[in-house]
Amino acid sequence: MFYRAAGQFKTSYRADQALFPVRQDAMLLGFILILAWVVFPLTASEFAFQTLLIPILIYSLAALGLNILTGYAGQLSLGTAAFMGVGAYACYKMVTLMPWMSPVVAILLSGVFSAGIGVVFGIPSLRIKGFYLAIATLAAQFFLVWLFEKWAWLYNYNASGAIQVPNLQSFGVYVSGPQATSMVQYYVVLAVVTLLTWVCINLTRGTTGRIWKATRDMDFAAELIGINLMKSKLGAFAVSSYIVGVAGALFVFMWRGAAEPNLFDVPLSFRILFIAIIGGLGSILGNYLGAILIVGLPVILGVLPEVLGMQTDSALAEHLNTMIVGALIIFFLIVEPHGLAQLWRLIREKLVIWPFPH
Amino acid sequence: MNYTARLAAAAMAATFAASAGAQELNLPNLSYRTGPFASTGTPVMNGQADYFTMLNARDGGIGGVKVNAYECETGYNTEKGVECYEKTKGDAIVTQPWSTGITLQVLPKTNVDKIPILAPGYGFSAMADGEVFQWAFNMPASYWDGASMILKALGGEDMGGLKGKKIAFLHLDHPFGKEPLPYLEKKAADVGFELLPIPVGLKEMQNQSAQWLQIRRERPDFVIMWGWGAMNTGALTEAVKTKYPMDQFVGIWWSGHSDDLQVVGQDGKGYRAISFNAPVEDAPVWADIQKYVIEPGKTESDEEQRGEVFYQRGLVMSMMLAEGIRAAQEEYGTGNISPEQLRWGLENIELTAERLDELGMTGMVPPFSTSCGDHTGHSGGWMLQWDGAKFVKASDHLQENRDEIAPLEVEKAEEYAAANAPWPTQDCN
Repeated sequence: MFYRAAGQFKTSYRADQALFPVRQDAMLLGFILILAWVVFPLTASEFAFQTLLIPILIYSLAALGLNILTGYAGQLSLGTAAFMGVGAYACYKMVTLMPWMSPVVAILLSGVFSAGIGVVFGIPSLRIKGFYLAIATLAAQFFLVWLFEKWAWLYNYNASGAIQVPNLQSFGVYVSGPQATSMVQYYVVLAVVTLLTWVCINLTRGTTGRIWKATRDMDFAAELIGINLMKSKLGAFAVSSYIVGVAGALFVFMWRGAAEPNLFDVPLSFRILFIAIIGGLGSILGNYLGAILIVGLPVILGVLPEVLGMQTDSALAEHLNTMIVGALIIFFLIVEPHGLAQLWRLIREKLVIWPFPH
Repeated sequence: MNYTARLAAAAMAATFAASAGAQELNLPNLSYRTGPFASTGTPVMNGQADYFTMLNARDGGIGGVKVNAYECETGYNTEKGVECYEKTKGDAIVTQPWSTGITLQVLPKTNVDKIPILAPGYGFSAMADGEVFQWAFNMPASYWDGASMILKALGGEDMGGLKGKKIAFLHLDHPFGKEPLPYLEKKAADVGFELLPIPVGLKEMQNQSAQWLQIRRERPDFVIMWGWGAMNTGALTEAVKTKYPMDQFVGIWWSGHSDDLQVVGQDGKGYRAISFNAPVEDAPVWADIQKYVIEPGKTESDEEQRGEVFYQRGLVMSMMLAEGIRAAQEEYGTGNISPEQLRWGLENIELTAERLDELGMTGMVPPFSTSCGDHTGHSGGWMLQWDGAKFVKASDHLQENRDEIAPLEVEKAEEYAAANAPWPTQDCN
């Protein structure tokens, strides 16, 4: 009933291959975009901006970057946080060396540096696969965090060894630093995330995406049909690291405001990997669903007792929170091992034939 | 007429009740009773909470206004910390960020949000410069003060005894551990001792064999430790294993936790830690805490914990905050003070020896006072020494060399302000 495709005739191949062959899907996306671009910013409180909207978007973007590499091209990586760090430090160096540069431009450029580093650490993927490759990317993780600690030039010889985001303007409005308002930062993040998501959808649906999928499914078969594995794998590393690097720059410049090297250590990599796995490998939508579950849900659970007027000990609430989120993750993985995106796909299929299942 | 009067009276009563209900001093604490550092956090948090519970029960709060000292659990996680800060800043008059990472993030926002940060004994040493850091307070002593006191304790009043010596600086490789380096490097050049910084990575805290191998090879005359949490136990057990003389091993106040020393017990005898507070078993304040907090069972602390340095440090921290609130209430003639007014209060704490006596806390913290230009107070401190079972006061009152530290504070504060321009400052003259 909700998904009645009757009457929606396709009169050209173009229409048949459209992103949303069913009109309702396009309407749903439009609805979500209106929510994100208009309704949320108008209604959200400072708390909602800082703990829900901005972090969910940034984590989604980081997971999206990882998903390109792991979900689409099949190269397992445990170095996501380190590549985020490269993006963040590159952005920091750019805006401090060239203060005239718009922070938004700097954020988009910082991905180029992490793409370069990503390609270098992606070279082992030409020879090794699977878990062995994961260990090789783990080396990137340890090496880069060590570099962030030891190379004082990266943090401008700051005595504390941390980077602090300066107040920066773009078109007369503060975009980063403590003077920037949450609303402005949210729109910057949203614009970047929307743009990169659009790019990724098109990349993964086109030739490049098909080449990646072929590489993922069986790489020597792909080679036999004429796919250049080096281009395919390193290309995936470059695109993935670019997105992850931009996410890292957003992470520090649009949200955290400061960062110490150990922020980019393994736990962050795992967190993003969990978002990608629980959301669904090889899907774009899954990253958003995963981020909502892993980043958003604990925050909502955390304020729940207060909203309901319950008096709880904050340490106890924290313990309960961890347990509930953990149980939910296990529950979702048992119900649908392929992630939340697959769960949505099944729900959608059911909705298409509802209320008359065959 | 009668009806109208009654209605008016009812309305007035209702307004009064409403305003009385709203009259509470909200003092959130971004606590960490969970996570990897819970063992160090819990005693301090208990001390902080117990002091306010006592004030509420004994005096009905501060200046007749009830204190609502509540906790928001961070588990020492920066992300949770920011969540807590955003959640509590609405009606809070102060924020207590606890971790260096959270302080780093919250500090730049204070000029915009206009909430004072209270970071007793941690945070940036340069916060002492009240002209630049209008909203930040780190009384009673900063890390640079601590470093100066340690050097004086080791090398005598003019530190001359350190000339030609070799000092290893074992520190956590983290903003916290790196904090005293600028001061120590300066002193090494001035006095003429060799400084050997030995960083301990966050992942190596529990296994410091490499660092102690280096110490064994280099044979430093002293080891100064800026450690915390699991790093303290790790260092102490390694020191025992390598038979490093304990009386040449000195820590900062966060390395003076009784639980860490209990792991080595008698072997740790002679280890010293500088501290701005000292445990006083028979301080008069205990009678009130016993009567109003412990007997009614309103505490999460236990008997053993209450004798420890860290629990008592929690009491001192809450006392300082309460004194700031009191000062603000007297200045502005209102019980329900705003964050701006508390900022003034924290800038005008007069903790004289007489005042400490009135509070029943003589000897628990040295007397000090803050001012517009001095947000630390620079109380000085004492060396505490581990006697095999507990920490005891092992020195006279030590005072840092103000004239060396002040220029460094101004320099670093200016650097910070320049990096975060536009950064509003206040003029104290």
